[in-house]
Amino acid sequence: MRTWKRNLLAVPILLWIGLLVGIPMLLVVALSFLSRDHLGNIVYQFTLDNWRKVVDPIYLRVFWNSLLMALLTALITLLVGYPVAYITSNLSPRRRALSLGLIMLPFWISSLLRTYGWMILLGNAGVINNVLMALGLIERPLPMMYKFGTSLVGTAYMLLPFMIVAVFNSVDKLDRSLLEASYDLGASRWKTFFHITIPLTLPGIVGGFTLVFIPALGLYFVSDLLGGGNTVFLGNLIHTLATRGRNRPLAAAFSLGMVALALMVLAFYWKVTKDKTGEGLFQ
Amino acid sequence: MKRTSAVLFTVVVLVLAVSAVMSAAEITLMTWGGDFIPRVIIEEFEQETGIRVNYKEVTSNEDMQSLLEANPDQYDLLVTTDYMVDILRQNGMLEVLDKSKLPNYANINPLYLGKYYDPDSEYAIPYAVSISLLLVNHEEVEKLGAKPITTYSDLWQPELRNKVVVVDWSVEIMGIVLKSLGYDYNETDPEKVAQAREKLFALKPNIVRFETNTPEDSLINGEAVVGFMYSNQAVKGNAADPRLQPVFPTEGMPIFIDCWVMSKEAPNKDGAYQFLDFIMRPEIAARIADITKFTTPNKAAEPYLPDYYRNNPMLNLPDEVAANTSFYIGVDKVLEEYEHIYVEFKLR
Repeated sequence: MRTWKRNLLAVPILLWIGLLVGIPMLLVVALSFLSRDHLGNIVYQFTLDNWRKVVDPIYLRVFWNSLLMALLTALITLLVGYPVAYITSNLSPRRRALSLGLIMLPFWISSLLRTYGWMILLGNAGVINNVLMALGLIERPLPMMYKFGTSLVGTAYMLLPFMIVAVFNSVDKLDRSLLEASYDLGASRWKTFFHITIPLTLPGIVGGFTLVFIPALGLYFVSDLLGGGNTVFLGNLIHTLATRGRNRPLAAAFSLGMVALALMVLAFYWKVTKDKTGEGLFQ
Repeated sequence: MKRTSAVLFTVVVLVLAVSAVMSAAEITLMTWGGDFIPRVIIEEFEQETGIRVNYKEVTSNEDMQSLLEANPDQYDLLVTTDYMVDILRQNGMLEVLDKSKLPNYANINPLYLGKYYDPDSEYAIPYAVSISLLLVNHEEVEKLGAKPITTYSDLWQPELRNKVVVVDWSVEIMGIVLKSLGYDYNETDPEKVAQAREKLFALKPNIVRFETNTPEDSLINGEAVVGFMYSNQAVKGNAADPRLQPVFPTEGMPIFIDCWVMSKEAPNKDGAYQFLDFIMRPEIAARIADITKFTTPNKAAEPYLPDYYRNNPMLNLPDEVAANTSFYIGVDKVLEEYEHIYVEFKLR
């Protein structure tokens, strides 16, 4: 009876998700099997054509491109974010609040504006090039814009706070006496870090990885602005197909392909976090 | 009794009058943002007529289409690009315009009427004309050792490596390639398309950036020396740096006409007609052209245009340039294949 009552509290959110996420999602699934006419109107005629096009070798390379971008973004944010989270959790409460506040601060500004900020920094006539030239270190501007790496830097920057916060929560819960025990038993700092700290904070690492990987698949405006549109990611392709490409059914099929990529990462997350100690991953 | 009915009568009249004013008091426009319909002009219209204007900003023709098709009774007027006029017309979303309510319609240059999207000039009133062209920094092109740029074919010169910026749209880029090969836009002949595909791939090393919204910036900051862009962007680039000069490629250029259209279920058609007639007044049309930097299709506006505008070939298109333009007609037949080629091109 009591669990029944407690479960009742979940009904509003279930309804919310069911109506506003579930139904549109089903519509997207249905759309991916429909046809369209030359004006781009949906025609209610079943077809597998859209799915055949999704597995076209050229379009599969777009999937690979997005996957690579998302994986590298997650990796970079982890490498940069883990130390930040670790150090932050060891600070005094006041400094810790300040540090977390500063990490969150960029969210107060539109992500589009922050992307333009990167353009001002990295451009040929940008701040970095101007400073280097004024110092006489370089003669002509270093071309830093419109490359895969530029998009990667922008996307990683955009999503870094997600990683930091996820890892921070995990590091914060870490029982410090275990570290002391490790030292007492003669383990070095590195050994302790790799055998105690990392396994115990693994849920945070995998959580942050998931939180970064999934949005990185879809942040196509960053690659449009910083990458100069020099390559194609899933987000760009879906956007084009849904608008000027007049092909919403194909856009729907690609969107579901993107959902599948995201689900793969989520499955990985579940597998890892169920195993709280993370031993399964290190064997 | 008599007094009561008099009071009742007055109330009824007042209610009717108020509701009539209410319905005449508001129109809703939907189009691009960024002062595409200048605020000052809208304010003047509001002051003159007492009709309030709501301005719904969108970022794509397709957004306009979805919004209009979802709620056709919420929008009175749209300004949308030629191909979307064609789609909306064929989908039965548009009202046939009653020209008797538009005395200023006579001001429109017949050169811009009766186009493919509205063959009998029933549904659309042209508002802003633009073309795509090349904006070139001739000095820098020379410094790179490339020969002067007069045609699309000149973009393939190896000296221009990483020095070209283009708008980011498959149909447009394939258009350049097809034109440089001497073919028409939106060619469907597989052999010619295959030829264009090869030539397109050869252009990749020269392109530094694909940018649809502000390609002129790349020329201003020097990262590119040639840009293929829309005329209003080229005008801005030229204004920021006079060394950036327009080149009208001899192979011909694409033209776009953004047009006013009325929703078939427009809630305030009278107000919409008043607005359309207002913006077609010669002096108003001239001021709009001055603010938006688009070519005006309003012939009667010419005497009111500022000198800089009249002397600028990108704004006041010379006849021989205008004659060398064409629309992208039949885009639907090539879209899918061009997009596929374009993705392959970008992944190289």
